[in-house]
Amino acid sequence: MRDEVKIGIGDMKVLRQQGTLITYALGSCIGITLYDPVIKLGGLLHIMLPKAGDQGAATPFKFADTGIREMIRKMAAYGGVTRRYVCKIAGGAQMFQMTGPIGNIGERNIASVRQELAAQQIRIQGEDVGKNYARTMLMDVSTGTVRVRTMGRNEIIL
Amino acid sequence: MKIQRYEDMGAMELDIIREIASIGTGYAATSLASMLGSEVRMTIPEINLLGYSETIDKMGDPEECIAAVLTQMSGDVEGIMLFLLRLDFINEVLGKMLGKTVDSYEEMTEMEISVLTELGNIIISSYANAISQLAGIRIKLSVPGVSVNMLGGILTVPMAEFGYVTDKLLLIDGQLLVNQKRLNSTLLMLPEMESLNVLMQKLGAVYEG
Repeated sequence: MRDEVKIGIGDMKVLRQQGTLITYALGSCIGITLYDPVIKLGGLLHIMLPKAGDQGAATPFKFADTGIREMIRKMAAYGGVTRRYVCKIAGGAQMFQMTGPIGNIGERNIASVRQELAAQQIRIQGEDVGKNYARTMLMDVSTGTVRVRTMGRNEIIL
Repeated sequence: MKIQRYEDMGAMELDIIREIASIGTGYAATSLASMLGSEVRMTIPEINLLGYSETIDKMGDPEECIAAVLTQMSGDVEGIMLFLLRLDFINEVLGKMLGKTVDSYEEMTEMEISVLTELGNIIISSYANAISQLAGIRIKLSVPGVSVNMLGGILTVPMAEFGYVTDKLLLIDGQLLVNQKRLNSTLLMLPEMESLNVLMQKLGAVYEG
């Protein structure tokens, strides 16, 4: 049994029935979990940038728009049904208080994730986004519980 | 030769970059020495071309806490300068400058953090000044930003900045040694691709004599 499956930057993994999906230290990046409670199917996506432009084909999971679409497609192959998905998101922080594109990448990521999820008719049921700190996001696939760990704060359940 | 991707760089290009980094780190070490009144040495800068996850693995544990000062370069050279400080280095500095130390990152107040920001700013500026003088180019530095948080989260900032251009980061990494002690601090320069060509053009010619 694989206990813990780690998701790197610009990647996505799916687990069924049991195990934990984890992605470490989301800064301006965003972690997106989808969970189908009927078949206990969970997926965790770690995106880095808002829009793919013409680069989506090579590395779809790097971007919010192509990443979410590809995640839904992959999870459907495992039997997931879009209208059953419970969706949670975390991340999109502003790590450095600076102006310009470096400062607002987190914000743009959040906007793009919301837009794409709305387009796919998926409602976000829990979130911990923005602010100025990094987050580690975990999902227990046996229950669908999503937890967020941060530095110097208590772990929260989304 | 024009560099289209970081992967295209050959031994000569890497040598030039190492030379630039040595000079930059040298100047940074000198200014740190004058601020602390201690002997400061440096390591020979390491050049690494790494993917995102490899970058974090090389720098440490993604969830580990670290302090970082970040400045954006613009002008003839664009990119990011990032100065990472760990607790032993921070305490050496705070001990010298404020006469106190801290047991954890959380203990730092605005006062300590502003000292570190200023220190980072001066070190980064000396580095950038050295390069701009050497190459006869203009480098503008933004107001520094500071963050005390998870290492992984901090490193995603330069990654996102270059994310549309490359899947790899060029890490130019020099370390400063205070009083012979290998304290944990890393000075990273992350030049954008086009700027790398500017530097090569300006310095390559000089380099070849």
